[in-house]
Amino acid sequence: MTPLVYVLEEQVRDLLSQTGDIRLVDGVAYGFDDWTVFHAYTGKPVSTPSGHICPCVAIRSDAAGFVDEESLMVQVRRRLDPDGLPIVVLIAGTGVGGSPSCRALILTDEGVAGADTRYVPRRSELFSRNTGLLETSALAEKKVVIVGLGSGGSPVALELARAGVGKFTLIDFDRLELGNISRHVCGVNDLGRYKTLAVRDQVLQKNPFAEVSTMEANVNQSLNQVEDVVAASDLLIVASDNDQSRFNLNQMSLNNNKVALYGRAITRAAGGDVLRVRPWKGPCYNCVFSSGLIDGREEELSQKRQALAVLPAYVEEDKINAMIQVGLSSDIAPIANMLTKMALVELSRGIETGMSTVDEDLVSDFYVWANRREEAYANWPRMGFKWTHPSILRWYAARVDRDPDCLVCGGHLEAEPAT
Amino acid sequence: MGWSSQQSVRLHLEMEILSRYFPTFFLKDSIIPGHAVIEGSLRSNAGSEYVVRLHVPADLPNSVPIVEVVSPALRDRFGHSLIDLGTSYPMHLLKPENGVVRICHYSASHWSPNITFSKVLLKIRAWIEAYEGHLDSGYAIDHYLPHMEA
Repeated sequence: MTPLVYVLEEQVRDLLSQTGDIRLVDGVAYGFDDWTVFHAYTGKPVSTPSGHICPCVAIRSDAAGFVDEESLMVQVRRRLDPDGLPIVVLIAGTGVGGSPSCRALILTDEGVAGADTRYVPRRSELFSRNTGLLETSALAEKKVVIVGLGSGGSPVALELARAGVGKFTLIDFDRLELGNISRHVCGVNDLGRYKTLAVRDQVLQKNPFAEVSTMEANVNQSLNQVEDVVAASDLLIVASDNDQSRFNLNQMSLNNNKVALYGRAITRAAGGDVLRVRPWKGPCYNCVFSSGLIDGREEELSQKRQALAVLPAYVEEDKINAMIQVGLSSDIAPIANMLTKMALVELSRGIETGMSTVDEDLVSDFYVWANRREEAYANWPRMGFKWTHPSILRWYAARVDRDPDCLVCGGHLEAEPAT
Repeated sequence: MGWSSQQSVRLHLEMEILSRYFPTFFLKDSIIPGHAVIEGSLRSNAGSEYVVRLHVPADLPNSVPIVEVVSPALRDRFGHSLIDLGTSYPMHLLKPENGVVRICHYSASHWSPNITFSKVLLKIRAWIEAYEGHLDSGYAIDHYLPHMEA
């Protein structure tokens, strides 16, 4: 098989734009599958790469497009001691019509072999499968803030990147621990990292054009900084694990007239719910929280830090440990999926896309999901063959109106903020 | 940064309600969020007076306010300072700071922005009655005030 080398078009262009003497540039490459596939970089990779590292050098051809390959290989061998590893040699030039071109050679102890090269990324190819359903070029300009990059928020970030959403701000102060891995989009390679930075790298793997900024901050302690970010966004997605942050983000969404989506799982992820807040047009988070709709639907406590934040200090260790009851990743997935769909509907609003009919269906602001007949759903009938009664594994829309007595968005406010 | 306009409206509303039901309570150091306190006195049925301080949270009304009994220095029926008890489940106490007792009234999991300071002080008023009950009988405070479900 002819080796295949992927190179970043942007880096090739940078190399070609250099002036002065033609000289070798040190890069880095990562090989896969018995050195048959390489990802080669002439500079810093855009995200954390994977694969087996090997040396890479790059050179641009002269104005006439000429490179003396024989002397080039001598130069490379003199410059690098590959210690048995292959060396990827990139030769950048200008092709037909002035577009950049790049050839790759693989230098091994046995000699030199030519390789096929592919440019990364090509935006049109990345999102070609979305055509007709989403307006990718419009989504590329949309800015989404995601708070909470755990098992709920991280898959939403990835799905939106897959859909072509172009601008993200990821907010979380937590780091990835071993216990998170089975429910998280990131794996053991990311242990100990901030969830924000690990998810950012995953997002860039799906959409290398995305602009991703991160805040390793506790929302409840960084109110002004977070509100600035919310004010500059198109959509706020809240997948945090405590009510205080949701109350604070609810206020920010109202202050800045930004649509917010809230998703959460209940104990052991027996189910969950998703709420959309269209500021001043429907119920806010506090309206729903105080409506009694979520009474008896206690939030899933998935880690000790989360439990300690919401329980009184005198609750004994044994009780805290007993209250930490997590569900499966597949139990969280429907909630993350619903959040994603509602996000795409909101981000596509006003644009003719395949999401328009979904928008017509999602008239409610609050949706409930059941994974298993336990906790709040213990008395539900078995699914069987009926579809006229409540059942697990289906979404239910609930009517919740804005509460005129809500102390956050209700009648005590003389006027809604003008934004 | 000062209070947001919504927070200013809320603070005004809180003080309006307090002036009706707890007229001795007044706002101190209200300019800087995180430093504002509301202080006043509560009188028990037996006529004892307790000076109570409520710390207005910087993210008003989204988190549980800290409430302290500033005076008198509280002791249990057996003469021990309540401060020395530290965090106490039977006495509904949180970890004391600055040498004053902190009362556990609402846990974070039961808090909502719809709860006003007036409701909080009502719970403190109930705690005071339970405390005096403890002084009379020796029963812990949670004999009189059951805990909210965690």
